[in-house]
Amino acid sequence: MDFHQLWTIVSTPDNVPIVLLLFLVPFYTWYGMRQAFANDRLIAELEANPEMAKTHHRKTQPYKTGWAKEVHVWPYLLRIEFLAAIILTVILMVWSITLNAPLEEPSNPTLTMNPSKAPWYFLGLQEMLVYFDPWMAGVVMPSLIIVGLMVIPYIDTNPLGNGYYTYKQRKFSILTFIFGFIVLWVSMIVIGTLIRGPGWMWFWPGTTWDHNRLIFEVNRDLPDIFGITTRVPKIIFGGIVVGLYLVAAGIGIHKLITKTAFNRKIYARMSVLQYVVMQTFLIIMLSLPVKILARLLFRIKYIWVTPWFNI
Amino acid sequence: MSDQEKDPVVHSSLSKALVIWSALLALSMVWGLYDEMYGIRPWKGYQARFEKLYRHYLATARLSEADREKQIRSQPEYKLLDRDTQAAEKAVMPEASAIDVEVNPLVLKILALNDPFQEVRSHIGALTYQIEVSKSESTKDSLRKQIVELRAEVHKVALPGEKEKRSMTFGDMEKQLTEWKARKAELLQRMVTVMKRATDLRAQRDKYLSDRISDASLDTLSSVENSLSKFDIRIRQIHIKDVDLVDRCESCHMGIREPVRLTAASMGGEAVFTSHPDKELLKIHDPEKFGCTPCHGGNGAALSSVEKAHGYNKYWLWPMHHPENIEAGCQQCHVKEIVTEQADTLNAGREIFRLRGCMGCHRYEGFDREGDEIASVNQQIHQDEQQKAEWTREAGFAEQAANNPKTTNAEAQKLYAHANDLKVRSSGIDAQIEQLDMRSESLVREVKKVGPSLKEVRMKLRKEWIPEWLKDPHVWREGTKMPSFRLDQEEIRAIAAYIWQSGVQGDLPSQKSGDPEKGREAFETRGCMACHSMGEGGQKQGGTFAANLSREGEKANYDYLVRWVHNPRQRTAPYCPYEKKDLTAADYQKHGLPFVFDLGHDKCPNDGHELQVQQMTPMPNLRLTEDEARDIASYLMTRKHSGATYSGASFMDDPALKNKGLAAIRNYGCAGCHEIAGLEDEQRIGTELTKEGSKPIERLDFALLGHKAEEEGWMTHKGFFEHKLADPAVYDQGKEKARQDRLKMPNFNFSKPEIDAVTTFLEGSVDASVPPRYFYTPADQRQDIIEGWWLVRKYNCMGCHRVHVGQTTVLDGMARYQDPDWRDQKPPTLIGEGARVNPEWLMRFLNNPALSETDTNRDGVRQYLKARMPTFSFSDGEVRKIVRFFEALSSQAQPFIADKLEPLTDQERTMARQLFTSEAAPCLKCHMTGDPAHDARATAPNFTVAKDRLKPGWTKRWILAPAMMSPGTAMPSNLFVKPDDHWIFAGPLPASFNGYAKDQADLLVRYMFQFTPEELSRLRSSMGSGK
Repeated sequence: MDFHQLWTIVSTPDNVPIVLLLFLVPFYTWYGMRQAFANDRLIAELEANPEMAKTHHRKTQPYKTGWAKEVHVWPYLLRIEFLAAIILTVILMVWSITLNAPLEEPSNPTLTMNPSKAPWYFLGLQEMLVYFDPWMAGVVMPSLIIVGLMVIPYIDTNPLGNGYYTYKQRKFSILTFIFGFIVLWVSMIVIGTLIRGPGWMWFWPGTTWDHNRLIFEVNRDLPDIFGITTRVPKIIFGGIVVGLYLVAAGIGIHKLITKTAFNRKIYARMSVLQYVVMQTFLIIMLSLPVKILARLLFRIKYIWVTPWFNI
Repeated sequence: MSDQEKDPVVHSSLSKALVIWSALLALSMVWGLYDEMYGIRPWKGYQARFEKLYRHYLATARLSEADREKQIRSQPEYKLLDRDTQAAEKAVMPEASAIDVEVNPLVLKILALNDPFQEVRSHIGALTYQIEVSKSESTKDSLRKQIVELRAEVHKVALPGEKEKRSMTFGDMEKQLTEWKARKAELLQRMVTVMKRATDLRAQRDKYLSDRISDASLDTLSSVENSLSKFDIRIRQIHIKDVDLVDRCESCHMGIREPVRLTAASMGGEAVFTSHPDKELLKIHDPEKFGCTPCHGGNGAALSSVEKAHGYNKYWLWPMHHPENIEAGCQQCHVKEIVTEQADTLNAGREIFRLRGCMGCHRYEGFDREGDEIASVNQQIHQDEQQKAEWTREAGFAEQAANNPKTTNAEAQKLYAHANDLKVRSSGIDAQIEQLDMRSESLVREVKKVGPSLKEVRMKLRKEWIPEWLKDPHVWREGTKMPSFRLDQEEIRAIAAYIWQSGVQGDLPSQKSGDPEKGREAFETRGCMACHSMGEGGQKQGGTFAANLSREGEKANYDYLVRWVHNPRQRTAPYCPYEKKDLTAADYQKHGLPFVFDLGHDKCPNDGHELQVQQMTPMPNLRLTEDEARDIASYLMTRKHSGATYSGASFMDDPALKNKGLAAIRNYGCAGCHEIAGLEDEQRIGTELTKEGSKPIERLDFALLGHKAEEEGWMTHKGFFEHKLADPAVYDQGKEKARQDRLKMPNFNFSKPEIDAVTTFLEGSVDASVPPRYFYTPADQRQDIIEGWWLVRKYNCMGCHRVHVGQTTVLDGMARYQDPDWRDQKPPTLIGEGARVNPEWLMRFLNNPALSETDTNRDGVRQYLKARMPTFSFSDGEVRKIVRFFEALSSQAQPFIADKLEPLTDQERTMARQLFTSEAAPCLKCHMTGDPAHDARATAPNFTVAKDRLKPGWTKRWILAPAMMSPGTAMPSNLFVKPDDHWIFAGPLPASFNGYAKDQADLLVRYMFQFTPEELSRLRSSMGSGK
C-alpha cells in the first residue's frame, strides 16, 4: 500500500471535488430514495384504503405522524435555506482560503505532461476515449448526451411523480437516470481521476504511479479475432455484429419497458416517434458499458472497422 | 402531543444554529481578511521586523561609530579643515545674509503675483484654442475681441509688503514678473559665487571623514535613519523592461543593498536581512540592470511563501541555487570561460570536467574543440580535393570536345573558355587546401588527449600490469585521473588483449642505466613536480595535473621511459589523419624518403597532408640531456611497491579476444581519452551536456529511483547530478538490463567538494532565458583573457607560475621551496608579465624558451634556476593567444609600440656605468653576467636580454619599487628617492653626478636599454680590476 501516492492523489486541490463526489453522490441518492420509499408506502396505503385517499389528497406523507404535512415557505423553508446558505458560504470561504488553484509549469509544446488530464468535469469524456474512436467519443457521443437530455421532457409520458419523491411510480426513469449518471458518468469521472495514472494505465488505488511501468496489452479488432483480415469482409462483418447488437438491445429494452403492467400503461401512451427516439438513445447509452466490458475483459479495440469510422 | 412528536420544521428554533454559524461566517470572513492582508503576504511581517531590527542596530552602531568619529574629528588635519570651513563661512556671512534679505521678500512677491497672472493667461490660452478650432470667421472675430478685452482688463493685486493694492493689466503683470524673476536668479547666482569657497571646504572636510571610516560614517547612519523614519510597508521590486523581469526579492531581503554592512548577528540572528556578501560583485552586476533571479534562480515575482519565492516548487523550472552551488548562476552567462574570477567552485567544476576527461565522452560546447575541428578540416580537404578532381576531369572533357573537328569554331572557343575557367577555379581550391592544411598543422599540435596514447603500450608497459590496472585504477593508484569502470573479468581480458595486439611496434634503443640519486634530485628540482606527484597517502607531494609516479617502476619499461623523459612528444610512428593509419618506414621508403618525422617533417609522404607527429600529451619537453633523462628514468624505475605481484597474461596474445576487446572499448568509450589504434575517429559516447541544466526534469532518467527521489526531495537537477556523480551506476539499481545496455559512466571517486563543483557547473549549464546583453562576450581585451585562460589551464602554467593575484603554485606548497635557500629558485611570478615584457620577445621565448638554436640545454632568461621553462611546442595560434592574454591582463595597448629612448651622451654613459657598479647599487652582484662561476650564484637575469625583453616604462617602475610588484623579491627597494620632481639615487653618488639635473632612474633605464654583451664584458673586467 503506497499511502504517500494515495495521499498525493487525494489531496491535490484539483481532485478534492472528486473525493467529495465519492461521498456526496451516494449520500444524496440514498437521502432522496429514502423519502421516495416513504412516499411509496403512503401511496400503497392510499390505494388500499379509498377512505383515506379522500383525506389525503396529496400523495405525500409527513415524516412522522403528527408532524405538519405542509408548512409555509416563510418562515419555515426560508429560514432553513438561509441557514444552509450560511453554512455553505462558510465552507466555500474556508475551502478557498486553504486550497489554492494549482498552477503548474509553463506549457512546453515539446513535452506533454504524463498523465495529461482534462479538468475533472471532462474526465468522463476523456475516459470514453479509451473505449471509442476519438470521433465517436469526442464528438458524436457528447452531442448525443446533450440532445438526449433535451428530449427527455418530450418522451416522458408518465404524468406521475410531479412535486414529490417517488420510486414506485417512476421506476423506469429513475433506474435509467441512475444507470446513465451514476454508473456511467460519475464512475467514469472517478476512474479518470483516481485510477488512471501515467500512460493512462489502470492503477488500483494505493498502488504506486510508476512512470516506468510496462504492461502487455494488445488490443485487437473483433474481425481479427475471427480471422477476417481484408477490408470489405471486415466492413460487412462489423456491420452484421453491430446490427445484431442493435436488434438484440432493441428487443431487450422493449422487454424491459413492457415488463410490468404499470410500464405497459406508460408504453401505451407513447407515440411511435416518442418510442423510437427513446429506444435510439437507450440503445446508444447501453452500447457504452457493452463496449467498456468488451474492451476491458476481451481487449477488443473496435467492432466495426471501416475507412470512415470505427465503432 | 409529546415534545418529541412535534414537527421540528415548525416547532424547533433555529436560532442557536443560526447564531453559531453566523459567528463562524463572521470568523471565516475575518480569517479571509487576515489571509488577504497577512497570510499570503508574509513579506509584510518581514518588513515590520526589519524596520525594528535595523533601527535598533543603527542606534547601537551609532554609539561605537561616534567614538571612532570623535577620534577622527580630533585629528589636527580635520580640525584645520573644519576651522577653515567655518572661517570661510563666517567671512561671507554678512554678504550672504544681505542677499538673503533681498531674496526672501522677492520670492513672496513672485508667488503672490503669479496666481492672478496665471489665471488670465490660462483664460487667454483657452480662448486661443477655441479660435483655432472654430469654423466661422465671425465667431473667431468675437473671440479675438474677448481676448483683447481680457488683456486690457485691470486687476487689483495685493502684494506682500505693499499697503495699497496695485492695479495692473495682464501686460503689466507679465513685465513685472519677468523683472523679478531675473533679479532673483541674479541674486542666487551671486550667492553661489560668494559661498563657493566655503562649500568646497565643507566637501573636502566631509571627504576627509568618509575616507577614514571603513564602514559607514555617522552621516550615512543618519541618512539611513532618516530614510527609516519614512519607512513604509510596500512591495519592493526591480522591474527590468527588456527582460520582462520582476524581482521582488528585496521585499523580504531588505538589507541586500543597504549602505551599512549588515550581518545576521547584527540583525538579531535573522539571516534574511543580511546585506549582499559581495558588494564588489553587486557593483559589476547592478541589480537594477540584472535583477536577482537571473543569477540566483528562484521565482522573483512570488511573495506568498518562502518556498515559492525561492522556487522550491515542483513546477518552477529555475529553483534557487543552493549555497554550495551558488556559482551555477555565473556559468549561464560566463559560458565561454574556463576561469571566471571570484567563482572558485565553478572553476573547479570546469577544471574537473576538462582534466578528468568528462569531455572525452560528453560533448560540451567550448571544451576539447580541436578534435572536432580536425575532423571537420579533414572532411573539408576531402571535399575540396574531390571538387578539384571533378573540375580537372570536366576541363579535360571540354578540351577534348573542343578539339573534335566536328565542333564549330564558336562552340570550341566557348569550350576552351570553360576549360580555362575550371582550371583557374581549381587553382583557387589549391589555395584553400593550403589554408586548411595550415590550420590542420596548428590543430594537430593543439589536440591533446586526457589519457596517454595506447598505441605504444607494447614498448611502454609491462604486459601483466595492464589487466591489473583495468580492474580498478583507483586501487592501484589512489586518486588517479582514470576512473573505475565496472568491468567483468571477461571484458578486462578482452580489452587488454585488444590494446596489446593493436599497439604499434617500433625500435627502441636499449639504454644504459643512470644514477637514481641524481635522477631524484633532477625530478624534484627541474619542475616535474609542478604536474606530477610522488609519494603515497600523507607523503604525497606535488601536482595533481598529471599522474602520481610512486609505482612507476612496476609498470614501465626503462628504455621507453628514457625516451619519454627526454622528449615526451616523440612518437614511434606518425599518424596520418587523412588516410587514417599509422605510417611505417615502408611508407617512407616507397617514396625514397628517410623515416624521419618531427615538427619540421610533418607532411605525409603518401598524400602530402599534415601528420600527427607528436604524442597528444600536454607534457612538454624539458630539454634535458640524455644522461639526465637516464638518471630520472632510473629513479622512476626504483619507485615501486616491493611486494607487488602480477599474474601471467598470456591471454593478451589470443587473437580470438581481439574483436571482443574492440567491441568493449567502443562500448565504454575508451577512445574519448586515449589514442587507440583503429579508433582515432571514434565519436563521443555520452550525452551532450552543454544545456544539461535546463533539460526538462522528465527527461532525466531517475529510473526506479524516481519515487524515492520525490519522497526524499531530490527530484531536481541538483539531486540527479549529485547522485549520479557519487555513484554513476545508481540509476541502474534494480534494473534488469543486458550488460551492454547498462550505464557506462565510470566511477571517478569524487569527493564531496568535487561533486559540488561539477554539480555547480552542470546546474549552470542551461539554455539561458536571459537576453544577449547578459552574456559576457566582451569585444575588447577581456576576450583575450577569456581565451588565454583556456591555454593557461591546458598546459598547467599555474603549476609553476603565479598568474594572478592571490594564487599559489604547486611549487609554493612543496617542502623543498620553504627552505630560504630555495625560495629564489621558484619560477618567476607572471603577475604583470604583460606590462613587463615586450610581446615580440615573449612570442620568441614561448616558441623557444632556451632563446638559442644551439645551446638548448638551458633556460633563456634565468639560467640560474634549476626548474626550467620547458618547450611546449605551441602552435602559432596558441602562442598568439598566450601573449595577448598577458598583454590583456596588464591592460597593455595592442599592438605594442616600443618607447623611443633618448640615446645616452658619452658623459651620461660614464655616469651610468659608475652608478651601475657603485658599492651602493652592485647590480651585477645578483644579476647574471655570463661568467659561469658567478652565474651559479646569481638570482636575477642577464642585462643583455633586457633590451629585447623588457618594456622601459615597466623597468623604471621596477627599479623604483620592486617589492610592491613582487613581494619578497631579492631586488632591493628604495634605491631612489624623489625629493622634488625627479628621482635621484638614494645612496652615495659618484662625483660625476654633481650638477646632473635629469631623472637618475631614467638614466639607468636608458643605459640598460643600450646594454650589449661588449658593455657587459667591459663592466666585468672593470669590476674585476677594481677588486
